[in-house]
Amino acid sequence: MNSATTDALLTPDAELEQSRLAQRRADKWLIVGTLLMGANVPGIFGFPIFLWGLALLRRAQKAGLSVRPIMVTLIGYLVILDAGLNLQGWILDMVANHSLIYRVLYTAWGNTFDAGYFWHYNQLWIGGAGAPGEKGWEVALILTVFPMRIAAAIAFLQMKRWGYQWLLVTCWFGVVIWIGYVMNMTVYADVRYAGVVFPVLGWWIYDIMYITPFLAIPYLHTVDREIFTD
Amino acid sequence: MNERERQRKRALMVFQIFIYGYLLLMFGIQLSVWATRNW
Repeated sequence: MNSATTDALLTPDAELEQSRLAQRRADKWLIVGTLLMGANVPGIFGFPIFLWGLALLRRAQKAGLSVRPIMVTLIGYLVILDAGLNLQGWILDMVANHSLIYRVLYTAWGNTFDAGYFWHYNQLWIGGAGAPGEKGWEVALILTVFPMRIAAAIAFLQMKRWGYQWLLVTCWFGVVIWIGYVMNMTVYADVRYAGVVFPVLGWWIYDIMYITPFLAIPYLHTVDREIFTD
Repeated sequence: MNERERQRKRALMVFQIFIYGYLLLMFGIQLSVWATRNW
């Protein structure tokens, strides 16, 4: 084979290697973007970085390289972001509730949207949010579904079958969370919404962003599972 | 297989109607309580 043909046609091995490199390059941007978005305040910087990673991935796909489908990428990173933000917020409320920064931030947040984080804040034996039921949800979800979701999403992004299966399981967990949490919220509405700056509407505008598991369920149930390796 | 696929899609639609309906209901209850108590 002369050099002209080797230049034009990539061997399967070389193509795999190029795909792997393109995937890795895009993932670096996507991971950094997601981490920044997950850290709350620098989120605004994370978003364009994430979009750039997506653009790189799309470009590689258009060039004919075998990279991860865009939909798998979007769902995987969105799940990590969703679970990460929830974990961060609630772990800090559990263990850092007496630090100055969280006494300021959480009660300010509580005063604005959800008095569950203002009413008797730090006055129970465990500290942090005093709203009825809130601590139960915090402990349950910090110790079970959120870490499971992050682990599943990482394996899902690696296109592993167990990642796909566990993402499906934890997305259904997400339905349980929403049904239980919102019911709890509504039952104690007079504790949580009384005297706040943006009652009801404020909470929904902020928290509706966490419905990502509902959005992923239809995709996960209809995608060809053979694309995920055993 | 095609029939199964159709059933699966129908089940997903029922699920979507249920879950978004539930959220709307909770939102509606909260709005009505808010209107009554005038927070």
